[in-house]
Amino acid sequence: MRRELRITAELIDEQALTAGRAMSHGMGAAVYFAGVVRAEEEGKRITAIDYEAFREMAERQFENIFRQIEKRWPVESIRVVHRIGVVKVNEASLWVEVIAPHRGEAFAACEFLIDEMKKVVPIWKKAVTA
Amino acid sequence: MKVTVQFFSYFKDLAGMPETVVEVGEWTRIGGLLEELYREFPKLEPMRKSMLVAVGLEYQDKNYVLQEGDVVSLFPPVQGG
Repeated sequence: MRRELRITAELIDEQALTAGRAMSHGMGAAVYFAGVVRAEEEGKRITAIDYEAFREMAERQFENIFRQIEKRWPVESIRVVHRIGVVKVNEASLWVEVIAPHRGEAFAACEFLIDEMKKVVPIWKKAVTA
Repeated sequence: MKVTVQFFSYFKDLAGMPETVVEVGEWTRIGGLLEELYREFPKLEPMRKSMLVAVGLEYQDKNYVLQEGDVVSLFPPVQGG
């Protein structure tokens, strides 16, 4: 399974990422997910979220998740981009692409990746108010 | 022997520093190290139930036996996404 992970302070360019899609002829499903910063956090108005990562460990933990995915589903490729630093309301903090033969396994692997990330990948957020 | 302890997220504020070096005896387990740290950084003690612990880049439980040069990381529940 191909994997690409980027933990970056730069804006996520969803169009450029989608344009860079590569899938072989046996693949029939490309699932995309974008996590976007909401204007409200725990009932308070916010303007942004400041993300902090323990980068080396985050990379290792993502790799552990990728390994679990390749054991469970016939996924050809996963690309993940996670922002760090200040991410403004309405900007994407997370972008995921999963490519698999069928939609069932692509959706399942995508959901698994995000659920596991929220348990084990050392990234934290701090709400930014105006 | 010496181990390095790193704090992340608001644990840095609770400890008042991002990192410290602790002298521990041989065969010290993570559980023992944490008790020592709670004495030195009492504000961390209330976080004990939700605290996550890693050695190097992998999670470890309280029974892990520390080795010279280990880098132990302490942090609150993760919140990526």
